Amino acid sequence: MKNLIFAEVYKLFKQGKTYYALGAIFLIEIIILFSAYSQGQDALDMILDNLKQSFYFEGNLLNGNLLSYLILNTLWFHLPLILIVIISGTLTSEYKDRTLLSVMLQPVAKWKFILSKYIVAILFTFLIVLFLAVTTFILAYSIFGDGDLIVYLNGLSFFESSDAFNRILWAFGFGAISMIFFSVVSLTLAVILEEPTKTWIAGAFFLIISNLLAKVNFKNYLLDNWLYVKLNDTWQYLFHFNIPWNKIYLNTTVLSLYTIVTVFIGVIIFTKKDVG
Amino acid sequence: MMTRLFILICYFGICHLNAQNIDKDLLEVQHRLDTIQSFSALVELNVDISFINIPVKHAKIEYTKNEETKVFSEDFVLIPKKGLDVSLYQLFKNPFITVDRGTALRHNKTYKALNIIPTNRKADFSIATVLIDTFTNRIVEYEINTKKDGSYLVSMQYTNDISLLPISIEVKFEIERVRIPLKYMGRDADIDKDSYKSEEVKTGTIHIGFNYTEILYFH
Repeated sequence: MKNLIFAEVYKLFKQGKTYYALGAIFLIEIIILFSAYSQGQDALDMILDNLKQSFYFEGNLLNGNLLSYLILNTLWFHLPLILIVIISGTLTSEYKDRTLLSVMLQPVAKWKFILSKYIVAILFTFLIVLFLAVTTFILAYSIFGDGDLIVYLNGLSFFESSDAFNRILWAFGFGAISMIFFSVVSLTLAVILEEPTKTWIAGAFFLIISNLLAKVNFKNYLLDNWLYVKLNDTWQYLFHFNIPWNKIYLNTTVLSLYTIVTVFIGVIIFTKKDVG
Repeated sequence: MMTRLFILICYFGICHLNAQNIDKDLLEVQHRLDTIQSFSALVELNVDISFINIPVKHAKIEYTKNEETKVFSEDFVLIPKKGLDVSLYQLFKNPFITVDRGTALRHNKTYKALNIIPTNRKADFSIATVLIDTFTNRIVEYEINTKKDGSYLVSMQYTNDISLLPISIEVKFEIERVRIPLKYMGRDADIDKDSYKSEEVKTGTIHIGFNYTEILYFH
């Protein structure tokens, strides 16, 4: 099993797509930083327009914390999309190149093979989120410095610099759990669909549907609280003025269970499937 | 001879009327405040607005006579446009007349009520109502109607009967709800239609505590 995991890690870092993904993430960060640099103050002025009648402002809100928060919001769509493409590609490319057949001719248990892919997918997702977090903090703080963070979540919230940094750090951590769910789903889709294009389309469709459903109010306790789409934005709770930690822990536990179930389904399907 | 006498009577009459236009208790308050040459203080700002969450903020203020109060802070702070001026420089900096409005009751105490009406177009307010404690010669409350920034109700608390500057103030003002363009909203930011329709203007309050580090008086 350990050797299989090492082999999967080797394959992942050997393929060009992995580096394209890292490059794409870095490029997205640069674009967000550039647009914030050019339009950020106008956006802040617009948000704070009503407050200007009653207040003078002292201090700078266009700072590294705000930029980090903006980049953190790529967890909604950009980052999971990149992960879906890369992670599903680790299996679909093996189907396409028929290397999977060669591997299966070896004395390797199918469930161990696919499980090692899931484990590497999870590790890679953690690595990508860590890469995003580290590059975000380095770029955002070195260019814009630190300062209070302003967030709009059913009202305006202001967080002091050190508090904002901690919240963003935790948000990256809990955001990684959401990203792992998408990675695991994309790999399961690859198990089912096998073909790269079909899997990417299905993965992107799954992501779009998830984003759309997240805004829907089902007026049903179970769906509104425990449907996976309602758990994927748990990292946003870190930006409530009083952090609902219990809700965060519960959501994360349930989402982790969904992830484990998805892995289990993927392993079962792959094991029962005729690879040839 | 009669014409000269008439002009003289008119001149003194007008001068006398002008002198009567400023209440003597307010002049006494102004005279006391005029003895302050400068002061600096550490302030604690506690914003209480339903749709704004902001921790208690700290700043430093510096006042020098005949100048606007300066605010310094390393954090981001929301500074109310009225109220922080505890020397009441903005209230008295332009010529004004006063109108006696009788008395007003606050916390079982009776205070003298006056309207301050600026006679100079440069003034940024159209009318202010002040409550004067004639025993301590201090203003305990004033409501100022500005020309551009709405109205503010400022209540001042003092440590003892001889303090000239307040230890804490409370500033109340009307504020519109913040309207965020959809593109800047997070996914969790739901629009509460009812509150948008029925409560467009809200009342905000800021509690400001002062810790004076230096007060210089004219001798």
